Parts: sequence; C-alpha cells; structure tokens
Amino acid sequence: MNELSPLQLILNASPAVQFVMLILLLLSVVSWVMITQRWLVLSAAKKGVQNFEHRFWSGMDLSQLYKEGTEMQRENMQIVGMENIFRAGFKEFMRLRRQVSVHRDAVMEGAQRAMRVAYSREEEKLEKHLPFLATVGSVSPYIGLFGTVIGIMNSFIGLANQAQATLQVVAPGIAEALIATAMGLFAAIPAVVAYNKYSANVDSITGSYITFSDEFSSILHRQIHSD
Amino acid sequence: MHNTLDNVVIYNGYPVSIVAAVSFHCMVLTALVYFQANRAPQVLNLVQPTVVKALLIDVNPQVRNAQNLERQRLERLDQQRQTREEELPRESEAERELERERAAAEERARQQAQERQRQVDVDALRQQQQADAERQARLEAERVRQEQTRAQEEQARLRQIDEAREQERQRQQAAQELAITEFELVQSGTALIQQLVQETWSRPPSARNGMRAILQIRMLPTGELVSATITESSGDAAFDRSAENAVYRAAPFRELQTLPINLFNRNFRTLSLIFQPEDLLF
Repeated sequence: MNELSPLQLILNASPAVQFVMLILLLLSVVSWVMITQRWLVLSAAKKGVQNFEHRFWSGMDLSQLYKEGTEMQRENMQIVGMENIFRAGFKEFMRLRRQVSVHRDAVMEGAQRAMRVAYSREEEKLEKHLPFLATVGSVSPYIGLFGTVIGIMNSFIGLANQAQATLQVVAPGIAEALIATAMGLFAAIPAVVAYNKYSANVDSITGSYITFSDEFSSILHRQIHSD
Repeated sequence: MHNTLDNVVIYNGYPVSIVAAVSFHCMVLTALVYFQANRAPQVLNLVQPTVVKALLIDVNPQVRNAQNLERQRLERLDQQRQTREEELPRESEAERELERERAAAEERARQQAQERQRQVDVDALRQQQQADAERQARLEAERVRQEQTRAQEEQARLRQIDEAREQERQRQQAAQELAITEFELVQSGTALIQQLVQETWSRPPSARNGMRAILQIRMLPTGELVSATITESSGDAAFDRSAENAVYRAAPFRELQTLPINLFNRNFRTLSLIFQPEDLLF
C-alpha cells in the first residue's frame, strides 16, 4: 500500500496547483504578520487611552501635562493616540490665545479643528492593514477553490487516458486538489476572525477619542469664557 | 508608560510580528508532518477459514488451464499440418525430373568413393593391430593402479550423492511449504467468494436437485466483477438468471485486494462457479 501524506501530495502536485498553494501560503503568512502587528498596536492604543485618561482626570494642571509630553518626545518615546489629540488641541489653543486680536470663538474653533485633524490621523493609524485582512478573508477561499478545480480537472484528464478507471487513479489527484481548498480556508478563517475583532476594537477606541475631544473642548471652552 | 509592551511596539511591531507569523506557520507544518508520520496504517486482513465446505460451488482453475493449453497445442499442430500440405503441390513436374537425375548422379559418385575407402581401411587395420598389442601391455599396468584409486573415489562419490539427496529433500520440503501457503490462500479466497455468493443466492421455485449451471466470472485485482457469463446452462432460465444475479449482487469481493497479484492472476482472474442445489427436498 502506498502511504500518502499531505507533504508528499504537496510536493507531487501539478505546477498550477503548487503555484496556488504558494500564493495561499504567502497570504497566510502575511495575514498573520498583520494580525500580530495589529494586535500589538491596538492593545498599545487601548493601554494608552486608559493611561492618559487616568493622568488627565487626576486633576493635574493641563500645561504641566503638556510639558511632560514634550519631555517624553525629547527622550524619543512615542506618544500615541489620545495624548496626540490633546497635544494638538492644547498647542493650537495656547498659540491662538496669546494673540490678542483673535476672538474667543475663533480660538475655540481653531483648537477643535486641530483636534479633528489629529483624530483622523490617529484613526488612520489604527485602521491600517484592516482592509488587507478583509481581502484575505474573502478572497483566499476562492483562490483555494481555483486550485482545487484545476487539480481535479487534471486528475480527470489523467483518468480519461486510463483504460481501467479505478479509484486509485483519481484519488491522489483529488486529495492534492483538496489540499488547496484546505489551505485557502486555513488562511481565510483567522483573517476574518481578526478583522471582525479588530474593527470592533478600533470602533471602541475611536469612540473614546471622540468622547475625550468633546470633553476637552468643553474644558477649554469653560477656560476661555471664565477670563 | 515605560514598560515592555511599549518597547515591543517600537517600529510599529513589524519585526516581532513577522517572527511570530513565520514561526506559527512552521509550527503548524511540523505538527502536520509529525502526526502524519505517527499515524499507523490500517491493514485489512484476509480472514482464513479453517474449514472449507465445497457444497454448492466448485472452482477448479487448474484443470481449466490445462485444458486451454491442450487446445492451444492441438490448434498449433493443425496449423502446421495445413501449411505443409499447402506447400506440397506447388512443385512442378520439371523440378521433380531434375531431382531424379541429380539423385542418380549422387548415387554413382557415392559407390566409387566407397570402393576407395575400403582399400584404405584394410591398410589401416593392419597398422592398428600392431599398435593395439603394445597398448595392451601398457594398459594392464595402468589398470592395476587405477583399481586402487577407484575404490577411494567410489567412497567419496557415495558421500556426495548422500549429501545431494539430503539437499534435494530439503529443497522439496521448502517448495511444498510454499505451495501449501499458496494453496491455503487460494482456498480461503474461493471460500470467501463462495460464502458471499451463497448468501446472496435466492433460488427460484423452479429449482430442482440435480440442476447445474456453470458461470464464468472475470474479476479485476481490486475484486471488482467485470463480467459473468453462463457457460453451461441448467436448462431452466430462471435458475440461470438467479445464479447470475447472485454473483452480481455479491460483487465486489474487496478482500481479494490483499492477495499477491501473481497469485490473483493465476487463480482468480477468471473463475468458474458451479451452481448446484443439493439441499432441496425434491
């Protein structure tokens, strides 16, 4: 009896099927790179949100908070997420306020605009690579299916040349073809799961950004009208 | 703020992610190969029955093979004779005349040669007689010496013969054992076919004791049935059909896959089954 293992099947597969398998393997590897990288980035952003909110609401002076951030930048440490929004808004607010000619409402508007810009930049950072995961999740089963169809086609062509059609003639070809589908699913399933989970995470993080920028602008508003 | 996770996220975490993803795929591949290598292959054993009952079906491929060979030989002989007969009348009358003249000439030449030969022989005979006398004396001495050596040789030869006989016996025994295992395999295979066919054979009401139908079936090494034809009818169409149906329903005989291919080719490629009800009341 001839022992058939998946590894042997892959090595003995026809070039077209092997090519499909190679593509799927690359897609799977790249999608896992993205999954891990997104996981690191998103969990760092989440932690950054908690950390910064804790510091922001601790009753610390806002200019003190801003100075701490500047020092951290000087030490070549990355400033992520919410703190970036805070810094953009606060910087614009201070600069406009120093100019006497500018009206209060214009100062508020300028600060809010700066925060909006920083927010969209942060959102972009968070959502990077997620479309790739979605594409892998939806396309790689089709690529796998394509490989399978080609493999089964080949094995049936081989069957046509046989005088005696037995199961042993077609079975290896079909098995090799099915491996392509298996690989497509193997690449697709984690990508889909990760895409769904990460897009939910991104939504919750951006939601907290929006809430924070509203709260912060209300604080600034109070400050500018109290003078 | 300053903890390990943040350090990892430097460069947006790409190097770590690549290492993680590649090692994950390597792990999956290794696991796949490992489990595949450890999986024990399933083997289907051919169950060998200890008792073989040949009640309904008689299978005798050897006799059939011998008959086939005999028929082929006869056909060959026939053919040879025919070709010889065809060639014969082609010779023309003139050729036959020439042949006769040539034969006469040869005869004359041969007689002359014989005459010469006879004279030469007489001379040679005389010389030979002298030489013989001398040789006789030499041979006498030689013979005495040879007598002694021959006795020794005789003993050695006897020993050798004994040994050869012993070896021969052992070889025969081994061959016999081999034949027995082959015989057993064939027996178990036929018993299996017999059992399967017997189980599926439903006899028609018109079946009577003493009816007898012979089916010739052809099989593939996978045990699949290629064809079943009635070579000897019982005279009752329903009975014949029931026998045929029984074989088709019993096929395929998957257990024959485990037989060695040469054994299968010798014994099971084509097979004659005899259907003969004997257990009926009338």
